[in-house]
Amino acid sequence: MNDIKTTATLDTSGKCCPMPMVETNKAIKGLALGDILEIIATDVGTRTDIPSWCERTGQTLLSMTEENQVLHYYVRKER
Amino acid sequence: MKTMAIVIRDDAYDKILTPLAFAYLTASEGTQVDLLFVNWAVKALTAEGAAKLRMDGLHAAEEPMVRAGVAKAGLPTEIYDVIKALKATGCVNFYACSLAGAIFGVNESNLIPEATGIVGAAWFLNEKAVKADHCQYF
Repeated sequence: MNDIKTTATLDTSGKCCPMPMVETNKAIKGLALGDILEIIATDVGTRTDIPSWCERTGQTLLSMTEENQVLHYYVRKER
Repeated sequence: MKTMAIVIRDDAYDKILTPLAFAYLTASEGTQVDLLFVNWAVKALTAEGAAKLRMDGLHAAEEPMVRAGVAKAGLPTEIYDVIKALKATGCVNFYACSLAGAIFGVNESNLIPEATGIVGAAWFLNEKAVKADHCQYF
């Protein structure tokens, strides 16, 4: 999704639960409404954790892609 | 989920990691987490006890591998450092069970400053566990 303009990038590569979610929560708090956070992850647990976190916290998951075991999430801060 | 209560009994290094990781996950979302340390686990609320936590049983010899994995995951490898990280979220309270403290030698003089205090189990179970949105026992 190259047309998504990211505000910030969080690279959690190599880290595992709970750190990708802990760091995602910290990162989103530092953004303004409408900002887009790109999250890079290698923990396969984020495949379920990040979409459910978005739904639970009211953020919008714009895109989720996986290539060579690296996951990219684009999340728009809504609240 | 606004509140979660966790009771931790087991103090083996590997076994205490899971409830602390769950607490870290939920606290990072702003959930208020209250943890009661009972039985041997109460010693984790002292600096000396936390430093002495080891894996036991069948997997004891694999502790270096587990610690390396914990570090790779991004968590501190020392339990006390994990406790400090949880405290820094501002959403976690650590309580020592008074019975466990009396049996296993934890009192207000050796309790780590990150702990809220020594409490009776009846208070925790009624005021925290029963009233929490979710409760876990480890």
